[in-house]
Formats: sequence, structure tokens, C-alpha cells
Amino acid sequence: MAARPATPASPKNARIKSPQPGQPVFGCEHLQRLFNQDQATTNTSIHHYKTILRNIMELPPWEYQSAKMTDTGAIITPMTPTYLCLQCPSILTEEDCVKHGSKKSHRFYVESREGYLYCQMCDDFVYDPTLEELRLRKSGSGTFSGARKRKQDEMFAASDPAKDSPSYISSNTTAPSCKANGLRGIYNAGATCYQNVVLQSFLHNPILRNYYLSDAHSSAKCEVPYCLSCAMDDMFQEFYVAENTNGYTAANILSGFWISEKKAFENLVTTKEQDAHEFFQFLAEELHERNGDGKKPEIGSEHSCNCIIHQTFYGKIQSTTTCQHCNGVTNQVQSFLDLSLPLENLTQKKGKKGSSTKANAMTLQECLDEEYIKDDKCEYRCNNCDSMQQARRQTSLKLLPNVLSIQLKRFEFKQGRNERAAKLDTPVHFPLQLNMLPYTTKARTTDTTEHFELARSCVYELFSVVVHVGEIDTGHYVSYCRLGNQWFAFNDHKVEMASISDVLSARAYLLFYIVRSLA
Amino acid sequence: MAPESERTGKAGVIVAPEDANPMEKIAHSILDDTLYNIVHDLLMKVHRDEKMARAGTAAIKIEKMASDASDSSTPDAKPDVRIETDAAIYEEGRVFLKGNPLKTTKDILCPRCHLPRLLNPTDGKGAQKPDPSIIYCKKHPYIDKPGYDIYGQTWVPAGPGRGKKKKDMEKKMDPNDASSPAGAGEGSAKDRPPNVLSFPSATCSKCKRCILVTRLNNHMGSCIGNSGRIASRAAAQKISNGGSNGGSQNNDNTPPGSQKGTPLPTSRAASPRKRDGDEFDEDADESDPANPKKKKKLKPTALTKKVILKTSKPMVKKDKVKANSSLNVEQKIDDEDTKDLTAQVTRKKSAPKTGPSPAKKLKLGAGKPNLPAAPKKAKRDRDLESESSGTLSSPP
Repeated sequence: MAARPATPASPKNARIKSPQPGQPVFGCEHLQRLFNQDQATTNTSIHHYKTILRNIMELPPWEYQSAKMTDTGAIITPMTPTYLCLQCPSILTEEDCVKHGSKKSHRFYVESREGYLYCQMCDDFVYDPTLEELRLRKSGSGTFSGARKRKQDEMFAASDPAKDSPSYISSNTTAPSCKANGLRGIYNAGATCYQNVVLQSFLHNPILRNYYLSDAHSSAKCEVPYCLSCAMDDMFQEFYVAENTNGYTAANILSGFWISEKKAFENLVTTKEQDAHEFFQFLAEELHERNGDGKKPEIGSEHSCNCIIHQTFYGKIQSTTTCQHCNGVTNQVQSFLDLSLPLENLTQKKGKKGSSTKANAMTLQECLDEEYIKDDKCEYRCNNCDSMQQARRQTSLKLLPNVLSIQLKRFEFKQGRNERAAKLDTPVHFPLQLNMLPYTTKARTTDTTEHFELARSCVYELFSVVVHVGEIDTGHYVSYCRLGNQWFAFNDHKVEMASISDVLSARAYLLFYIVRSLA
Repeated sequence: MAPESERTGKAGVIVAPEDANPMEKIAHSILDDTLYNIVHDLLMKVHRDEKMARAGTAAIKIEKMASDASDSSTPDAKPDVRIETDAAIYEEGRVFLKGNPLKTTKDILCPRCHLPRLLNPTDGKGAQKPDPSIIYCKKHPYIDKPGYDIYGQTWVPAGPGRGKKKKDMEKKMDPNDASSPAGAGEGSAKDRPPNVLSFPSATCSKCKRCILVTRLNNHMGSCIGNSGRIASRAAAQKISNGGSNGGSQNNDNTPPGSQKGTPLPTSRAASPRKRDGDEFDEDADESDPANPKKKKKLKPTALTKKVILKTSKPMVKKDKVKANSSLNVEQKIDDEDTKDLTAQVTRKKSAPKTGPSPAKKLKLGAGKPNLPAAPKKAKRDRDLESESSGTLSSPP
């Protein structure tokens, strides 16, 4: 039983979560009895629960999945959940819990998949406010205290500690109606579906939602005329505060967009159908300028800024170029707003292997492998050799963003035949949960196979998918967004329920993943 | 003969055949265990949500009883009473559970407004009639019903009258149109059931006029966009094109009758196009061989076009030779083609929407054009119609 290190009990007494209105103090009567015995029992119980959580979330699975059979003493390692006794270091199979319980009178067990607590006397899983808080914190941020904050926490943290108190918060907030949940369609103002899908993905982005709902950019105080960030603020209010279920008219966004003087996106300002990805870039840069340091992001540089857009979407990418002649290594770091994954090369490669159309289907991970694991040859001017040399270039992700946006390049400009752009309809399978660890610079330079904690922090969860239907010249954008565990399909003003299989079988164009420790 | 337990995992659903070799048995048992884990995870999620909601409900109920019993004026104060129900005990301002909330508590109260949650949708899949005597929390289960959104709303189909003219709406009704639910959109706003919504209008931030939302982008293009670089670019292009594009430029997308209503200048025939309109039309027609527009396209005049449309559409009863009605017919067809793509009316690369904008500016300048309506896409008709009627209803 190496899994349970005998650490000395923490000097501070473990505390039961103070009672909240509308919530019982304990998960069940039996847990209440356990916690009411004396402070020492409470301390050890909570301490054990923490240790168990740490084990099942950080240690390799065989450590907590190996159960000792009560009858034979043999160790078995099942794939299905094991049960870790809260009161002693035993690990048991589900069947053995009863025997262990009657022998030792230990009645509480922690299930090994997610750390839920099972009460033998209730014969049910119980959700104790104190223990659930620990479990959620551990599975979310990886710590119990929340001391190791991610950077966006600092952004939202009030400078004045008094402002963190619940009474201050409750007296300064307006509770929205139970009906307002952020699920509304956006009317198509005439070929604006490319805007609608991007706006929906912003609206269902928890980081941006928290930013705007916490009045971080208040349209009442902003003086910039036709400010797009104000238009976003108004829209968030309309979606999350108003009771209206009718579609939303994004008139302010639209006028802000028409008035915007951004030269790089001049092409966007028309009444024609446009590329949703271009609009995403436009909106991100516009919001950065309204909320950030005002500097225009230079393409190719390592631009970092504390604005909400940079904190949400921007990551860093590192290209390592190794000279084949002198083995000199050059690193170049760039900021990125999104990852653009070409599909064409891979489609062709796959096409050679399998002739049937089904074999052409690829996975998102394959596309990422192609870009961020494999290296390619290039020519570059080596400083050491002072001449043009063959080099190998390898790209990896140095800093993962909080929200990872991925564009699958479905619109390829084909050279030759009429020089027309073509749309690739190759199905790309994408996961609900994406592990980005293999594509990080860290995974490249160090052995990360045993770093379960690191792998956990690189897990992303899908929250929005933008789909283009139709041809390259004309078509329609629809999107899927997740609210809790339920997916919804957004088709302009129409919002419908969507199943996970609807979402996963969509021919995605843009994918938005959010890092799991925030989700 | 292997015992059953060796041939499957914990779920006991995927069982290897009796004569399976050891590898097969392991594979079956791994798959079976994986299935068990998936079901386990799903079940835990649902169980947790439900049990915590019920436990919260038990607490809310007993807290309410306690505050009622103490008749204290301050609602936040914790009354010093002891109350016991089947589900919970209230003591010293704290709530303790009694028994399993899944067994003791049957309904769910909203933790925010403390009203009971409606547990079944009111319409569509799994619908149940809510108890009319109970005031429910405003958060309702989402409705899953074809043709309706999650709130059970549907929209007046985007059509010629935009819900204004009854005559148009009748024509709009098409039994083949599955996307428009029966009864929806019939009649004027007064006759409509409350869950049938019409498209709203919005105020243009520049000229402060009220514009129907589906035309808002077009309007802003001309209202805001035209004053800037677009106009200059359009003008430059107009000069360079010099009307050499011939037929495709006779883009009087409006049939003659409509033109009477909206005086259109001849000059807008030279509206800027990035690509040749004809080339574009071909593309579109190829992609949709069943499209009746192809037929239409071959007809040289608007008059013949109208006749053909009428024969192909026996639904249309109105025989007025008013071109206005022919416009409606065209749009009807158009709507059928694109019914899934509501208001998705323009096409990339073929800037038809820049066409109307100069028209609006110049519309007092010239009389109606005497050119016959060129064969063209109905789509553009709609674009034009929408813009021109917009100017009609609210003259500058």
C-alpha cells in the first residue's frame, strides 16, 4: 500500500463547510454522525478523503485500481471502479465493500473514477457539501486550496479583499431571472450567419461570459462611439439577463462592424456571405483593441497583452529550426489566436492508402500530429554557417491558451484549374475531450509519460462547433454550443436541442475547446 | 468449458462465445468493462444532479417552514426553532438530511426562486400537461419538436409580405413545405398563436430609421458602407466595367410592374459586379438540376417567365397580370429552394446586393427603365424587392 503516504495530520483543524441556505449541512445522516464525533475524526476523515482524491487523480491507475480480495488476499486490478475505504487504507472491489464493512464497521468508500463518496448505510452515493467542494476543486484546478491560480483568476480577483465577501457580492449583484440562460438565436440580418455563429461561440464561452457579466467592460461607462466591446456587453446582458426567448437582433454589432476602420478586414465589410473564421479574427482583434493595451498585434511576433481576448484565446507557438549542417538550433516564438490545420495534404495521403471514401475520414489528432509533432524540411539562412542550409523545422505549442480555437482549412485555394478555391468536405472526427499534451514543447523536451497531473492540465473540452453547409460560393453557417451537458444547435434565430452524435458527426469548420480546469 | 464470469466483464452484456480462445475472452471482457465504465459515469452524473437537487429542495422547504413558524420580519435571520419533516430536520439554523432525499422528496424546487421546477416539457417529445394550479419556476425543460425551437416558438416564414399582407401569406402556405408547420404564419399578427413570432425590426444606428432585421445588413451597407470606401470602390469598378457585361447587367431584378412602384434609374444597370453574373448563374443551376429557374432562365422576357411559373405552380390562383404578384411567385419558388437557409439570400463573389444601393440613392433621378427584365435568378429579385420596398415604406 504505497499509495497512501503517512503524512502528518495538518496542524489546522479541518472545517465543515458553513451551512448555506437551501443546502443541507451534511451529505447524509451517517456522514453527519461521523463528522459530529469529535474534531479528530473529522480531521482524519477529511484528510483521508483528500489523500484518496490526490491518489486517484495524480497517481498512475494501477496504484488505486489494485484491490486486495478479502477472501483470498489476492491482488486484482479491475478496469471497473474500485472502492477506497475512507477510514483505512484498504482498496476493495465493489463486492468486497460489504464484507469489509461488516468486519471493520467502515461505512464510507470513495469510488475510484471520479472520487464520489459511497455510504454503505444509505446504500447510495452521497454528495456532502464539504467533500464535494474538495472533489470539484481537485478535479478542476488540481489543488484543494485554489492557491495556485491560473492567470485569469487574477484578472477577476478583486483588489480589495472586502469585495470578495459573499455579503458584498450579493448586495452588489442583480440576480437574473431563472428563464435567462443565454440560449437565444440571433436573427440573420441578410447573409450574416457567418457573424451569428461566431457570436454564439463567444456567448457560450465561459471566460468571456464571466468577463462581460462582471461588468468588466460596461457599455454605460464606455465613451467610444460604436464600440464593439459595448455591443458585446449589451448582447451578453440581453442573453443572460433578459427573459426574452425571441431571437436577438445584433444591430449594434453589425453597425460597429460596418463602421470599423480595420483595413485588414476591409473585405469583410460587405453585404455578401463571408468567412466565419475571418470574422472571428476580426472580432477578436477588435475586442483586443477595445479592452487591451491598444497595440495592434503584430503578426508573427510574441505579442502578449493582459486583455480578455489575449487571456482567453492566445497561446504561444515555438518553431525550432535545426540546421542540418552545423546542428545549430534556432527557436522562434510566436503568439497565436487559433490553430489552422490544413486538411488537403492529409486527405491526399489518405486517399492513396484507401480508395473508399470512408477511409478518407481522418481525426483531429491526426491533423495535429501532422502540424505539431512531425517536422518538415526547409531552407534557411544559418547564422553559424553563414550560408543557406537545409534545416529541419519543428513546431510545437509553448503555451496553451485557455480557449483553444481550431480552424480546419476546408476552403483551399487550388492552384491551376481555374485558380478557384474549393471546399474540402472530408469528414474530420473530433473528440469531446482533447488532450493537447503531445503537441506541447514540454512533451517534446521531457518525458511526460508519468506526468498524469500535467496531462490532466492539458485536457480540453469541446464547447462550440461551427459548421459550414453548402458550396464554397454560397452556403450557410450553423453552430453547436454546449450548455452544461446539453448541446444546442443554433441556426440563426432558431435554437434546437442537439444530441452529442449530431455534434460529433458535423463537418466542423471551427472548433472551440476550453481547458478543462476551467470548464 | 469456461465459466460465464471468464467470458465477460462487469456489465455482463458482451459475452464471448463458449468456444472462444483466451484472447477473444479478454477482448470481450475488456469491452464489457469499458461499457460498464461508460454507464457508470453517465449514471453518476445524473444521480448526482438529481440527488443534490432533491436534497436542496428538502432544505429549501424546511427553511421556509422555519421562517414561517418564527414569523420573523427579517427573512435572512436564522430562526431558533426546531422543525422536522420526512426529509430533513431544521435545528439551530442548520438543515440536516433525514433519509435519502431521492426517496423522501419527490419534486424539485428552484434554488433561486424557490418555485417548483416543471419536470416535463410542455410540448413535443415527452410532453406532459403542466398542473395549471401551480406556479412553476420560469426555467422550463427544453422542447424537442420538429419545426419549433427549444422554447416551442416558431417563426412566420420569411416571405414576400414579411407577415404584412394576408394575401401573400396565403400564397406562402405550401403543403410540401415541411419546415413551416401547419397553421403557422397564417393570417396577420392578430390571428397568430402567441408562439409564432415574426421578424422584428431594429433601428439603424446611423440614420435612426427602423429597418426589418432581415434587411438590416443591406441597409447598413448602403447607409454606412456607401459613404466610405465601398462606394468609391464600387464607383471605380463601375467605370472600369463600363457596362460591357451586357445582358447580365440588365439587372432589373424587379419585374416591370414593380418598377412602376419603385422608380428605378437605368444607371443602376451598371451596378458593380466582381464576377460576371452569367457565369455565376450557371454554377448555381448546375448544382441544382431540378431547379425550375433553369427553365425560367431561357425565357427572354419577364412576361413569358410569369406564364411558365404559373403553370408550374397550380397553387397560385390569383390571375392578376400585376407584376407584383409574379414577383411573389418567384419568391415563393425561391423560398422552397432555400427554405432551410432562411434569409440566406446572397452569394459570395457576385455582389448583387451592391446593386440596390445606388438605386436607392438615385431613385428620384431617373424614370423607370425600359429594358426588358433579363433572365436571372429569383434570389436577386428578393434582394431587390426587399430593399426597394424598404425605401418605399420609409422614404428618405
